[in-house]
Amino acid sequence: MSRALTWRSCVVFAALAALPLVPGIPKYYLLLAFDALLFGAIAMSLDLLIGYTGLVSFGHAAFYGLGAYATAVLLERGILSLWACLAFAILVVGLYALVIGYFATARRGIYFALLTLIFAEVVYTFFRYTQTFGGSDGIQGLPDAVVLPGIAIDTPVRKYYLVWVYLVLAYAVCRVLVTSHFGRVLVAIRENEDRARFLGYNVQRYKMAVCMLSALLTGLAGAIYPIRAAFATPDLMLWTESGEFIISVMIGGLGTLVGPILGGVFFTLLRDKVSSYVDWYFIVIGVVLVVIVLFLPKGLLGLRRVFRFGRWRATA
Amino acid sequence: MDYLVAVLLPQLLHGLVFGAALGLLALGLTVIFGLLGVMNFAHGELYMLGAYAGIAMVGLTHSFWAALVVAPLAVGAIGAVTEVATLRPLYRREPLYGLILTFGLALVFREGVRQIWGGDMRRILPPFTGSTPLLGMTYPNYRLFLLGASSLLLLAIWLFFTKTRAGVLVRAAVQDAEMLDGLGVNVPRVFTLTFAGSAALAALAGLLLAPVFTVYPQMGVEMILLAFIVVILGGMGSMGGSVVAAFVIGLAQSLLTLWMNPQRVAIAIFGIMIVVLIIRPRGFFGREGVLE
Repeated sequence: MSRALTWRSCVVFAALAALPLVPGIPKYYLLLAFDALLFGAIAMSLDLLIGYTGLVSFGHAAFYGLGAYATAVLLERGILSLWACLAFAILVVGLYALVIGYFATARRGIYFALLTLIFAEVVYTFFRYTQTFGGSDGIQGLPDAVVLPGIAIDTPVRKYYLVWVYLVLAYAVCRVLVTSHFGRVLVAIRENEDRARFLGYNVQRYKMAVCMLSALLTGLAGAIYPIRAAFATPDLMLWTESGEFIISVMIGGLGTLVGPILGGVFFTLLRDKVSSYVDWYFIVIGVVLVVIVLFLPKGLLGLRRVFRFGRWRATA
Repeated sequence: MDYLVAVLLPQLLHGLVFGAALGLLALGLTVIFGLLGVMNFAHGELYMLGAYAGIAMVGLTHSFWAALVVAPLAVGAIGAVTEVATLRPLYRREPLYGLILTFGLALVFREGVRQIWGGDMRRILPPFTGSTPLLGMTYPNYRLFLLGASSLLLLAIWLFFTKTRAGVLVRAAVQDAEMLDGLGVNVPRVFTLTFAGSAALAALAGLLLAPVFTVYPQMGVEMILLAFIVVILGGMGSMGGSVVAAFVIGLAQSLLTLWMNPQRVAIAIFGIMIVVLIIRPRGFFGREGVLE
């Protein structure tokens, strides 16, 4: 655990845990914080693929949406247990990810991106037009989930703590993973896949494993979403949603885990703020993305170096 | 026999028309990918910009033909500026950045168009109406024109790549840009002009199809997904493969609508792609080690 949670991350997570204790904090901001942390957690799990393994998935929205539908289907049928929802989401997303992973990890680079994108579109099209799952309206008006009989996740504070616990656990898992031998092999694959193969690593098995893990973490995030929003719609699986996950990873900084969480939070807040003032917020987001790719390829975390450099100059 | 003439034949022709337009789009994507290593996510938006530039020109001059000349040139210019301003700094970076950059550009273009022209469905009237009796059925003149025009365009592109010096230069740059640079060719200029040319082709496809389809800001999104499938099916980097795959998908799309509702068709097309990839992992004409 010491590797997973350094004192710095503990401080940050403790500060996040204290957020609902701020006196008079409006419900709206708590739910916005929920969205921000959830988006951050998804971006972090995507970072395992993009940042560490060098595989760009353009289909993470499908994992997210499938997780959301798993929860929604159970809640709609009166199965309110949070644990049942999470288990069902793991099952559904896991099966789907096995198929996708099998096809997509056999290929590299651009093929991987396009295959994940196209598979995700299949899932989107399926849910969009299947009336059993509510078609384009999705499944609406879900009841609150319960942690244990009698303890419902019904207030914004409880919902917020749900996503907080999820984020801390997911971060710990990812951090342990990337500092382990497994994580080193992933980086080796990113740097030079052929060399990793010559060194005797079964590259596809590693890619498959990280794909599954990233998909399951995203699926669990999806499973949590309807508990806050009380709905699941096919729009959660739209490919632009996958694009927004990637944007968050890029904004924060590839291959850092913390960066994508920051990026997800930044992106959610930006979208919320900008869209409340103007209706062309996609232009703002597009321009932000272009500027980051051109001038800040290491993302917001890349700014650290700039500041550190400044400090170093001041003391020298 | 009646079924054949009244139902099957028109759908077959529709499929060819759609396939040819898809081919124009996919060709641009393939060439850009081969040249810059960038899968251009904004290509669908260039296609859409072509249709909207056409609407603007038709509004201005009331002539479809003037629009057909000016719109691709305008979009080509936009493409050139975009390439120089945003893609050129990324040449030496990983392809991932190009992918994400063009995704951002696509957002900007789509939303920009929605701000200028609004989000409603629009139509461009075909420059001529009426239909011609053909093989026992009647077929709209404009669609016949479309089929002829896009086939001619594909032929012209093929001649360009095989018979002209400029075309050979582009193919050489796809093969080995560094070597070409060493031989004294201004490679960045080749890149920019090719990107502009691909943009103009996409715009032309968008405008040509506009009288048949509807024009709306999201129209590029649906096309780009099909174009991606075409590029994968044809084999990454194979121009001929792209054209063949475009006709396969165009025909499949229009023939399948005879027996299925549209959303099932979409799923069936994904199914075709998956089956092809199981049998031939690199697509119809993809070769091992090319652009991987």
